[in-house]
Amino acid sequence: MLSGLKGLGVTLRGALRPKVTTEYPKEHLPIDERFMGFPALTWDSNRVEPYCTGCMVCVRYCPTQCMSAQMKDNDKFVEGDSHRKKIIESFEINLSRCILCGICVDVCNFDAIEMSHEHERSERLRNANRVDLPELLEMGKKYQAEVRWKQSKPSPASPNEKAEIKAVSEAKKASEADSEATNKQSEAPDSGEDAA
Amino acid sequence: MSFIEVVFAIAGLFGLFTGLAVAVLSLTWMERKTLARIQQRAGPSVVGPHGLLQPVADAMKLATKEDMIPNYADKLLFWMAPIFVAVPAFMIWIAIPFGDNLAVRVLDLGLLYLVAISGIGVVGLLMGGWASSSRYSMLGGLRAAAQLVSYEIPIVIVILSIAVLVQSLSLDAVIGGNTISIGDDTRDLPGQGAIPFAFIMPMGLLIFLIAGLAELGRTPFDIHHAESEVVGGPFVEYSGAHWAVFFLAEYLNTFVISALIVILFFGGWSWPAPPESLFGNDLSSTATNLIGGAWLMIKTYLVAIGIFWIRGTYPRLRIDQLMAFAWQVLIPLSFVNLVLIAIVLFYDWPLWVMTAVSLPIILGVGIAVQRRRGARGRPQTVRILRRSAGEIGVPMPPASTPVTDQVQAGG
Repeated sequence: MLSGLKGLGVTLRGALRPKVTTEYPKEHLPIDERFMGFPALTWDSNRVEPYCTGCMVCVRYCPTQCMSAQMKDNDKFVEGDSHRKKIIESFEINLSRCILCGICVDVCNFDAIEMSHEHERSERLRNANRVDLPELLEMGKKYQAEVRWKQSKPSPASPNEKAEIKAVSEAKKASEADSEATNKQSEAPDSGEDAA
Repeated sequence: MSFIEVVFAIAGLFGLFTGLAVAVLSLTWMERKTLARIQQRAGPSVVGPHGLLQPVADAMKLATKEDMIPNYADKLLFWMAPIFVAVPAFMIWIAIPFGDNLAVRVLDLGLLYLVAISGIGVVGLLMGGWASSSRYSMLGGLRAAAQLVSYEIPIVIVILSIAVLVQSLSLDAVIGGNTISIGDDTRDLPGQGAIPFAFIMPMGLLIFLIAGLAELGRTPFDIHHAESEVVGGPFVEYSGAHWAVFFLAEYLNTFVISALIVILFFGGWSWPAPPESLFGNDLSSTATNLIGGAWLMIKTYLVAIGIFWIRGTYPRLRIDQLMAFAWQVLIPLSFVNLVLIAIVLFYDWPLWVMTAVSLPIILGVGIAVQRRRGARGRPQTVRILRRSAGEIGVPMPPASTPVTDQVQAGG
């Protein structure tokens, strides 16, 4: 009888505890930063274009062959605004096939693909989980904003930047040469002797 | 019976029926919410605000489901069984007083009527079990009969001791008190306006609560429809509307037992504050009755929640434990209760003597039961079965052999 009363106490205490259920479609559990959702393409906000050059490494390594990609010449490279000679034209991932293994992220040479936090895709149509480039970029942008994403190494300079750097360094050289020349003139006697 | 009386009776029945249907719906919702709270779940939350319309959805689902009758069933009995269970559950409410002299039919033999009517439900369960032509149903029906008949006895004895206390079988006397006169000796017997009988007869309350739970077939006494043993007992073959009627009856009975506990032990409509004491005697009778009815309903729902709480706490008893508990503990204890109250009344001792004697008895019996249960070990029935099987030459595996070894040896 006494243990029976104890049991009632246990259930009463249980009833006073907050509920552990998360009512899923209404409430969501917080997602960890390292959570691996579906792959998404990242967005280079400096160059205002995707990181992806369409090199097909991820497509070839994908164990389920759920991706396809196509590259094109990068107009911005021609204009000199970007360092990427080639850029992605179309990219498609069938997320119904993707097994979220992350191999595409490991093999990518350009930080162009990341496992995003996107994981709730339920669609009525069979093909609705085939996502194209704009959608992948949207997922990627969202992910980049959420984790304050940074690229692993700085991008090389674009032609315009190279030209700029060149011009700057030349100008610098010229000014240095000037100052050196003036220095030489002022220190002419000593240096002249040394040189000789 | 005049025309007006007939109209009032019909209106009362109609109101009762509607009210009880709503009560059943609310009880199912409350039970699910209570259990959910105990298990830290959310419970029904989708249909309506806080899942309040969930019972309505369930009822619609049950009503529209296909009503199947097994081929070999005894069709007439099968069809009648739910009615036999549900009708008494409704009939009991005719005598339940919602206020002073306010019931659909005020009966002078109210207590007798309650006992008599509540016994009919067993017949329905037995009929359902028999008519389904299923072993599980049959077993469940027989279990129900054994259990309900056993636990009827302590309930009747406790009700009897209440009748002894108020010297009347009328439910109004149980709540409002009674005045009797034998010769020149006129005596006021206590009602429950000041002190409810729970404080005078705590033993009676405990016995009534336990036996009431068993009478309902609720956990921890739900062996007659234990899912893990007899699948669903008498209800195995029932579906759709027929099953819904059984279900309705079960919750109605829960409500009845809660209401009876309130009326017999917690003062029905008059405790903790009789309407007159709150607002004086100049209140209209309608308002008085409304307040009284509200008291009754609030307390009934609280007791019902307590019953759900018990369901969320205790595991199911084995059938031998169940029967042993009824015959070895509850029935003797209820007789002790009856004799005690009779002695106290006969010698004109103050009523707190009853309380003072009851509490140590409850404590002692509780501790004794707990010790004995721990010491007893394996159930009696298995031992008996095993012995008799050995006697008639049925090969039985030795008690300690694990099942897996046998399978390997056989294969």
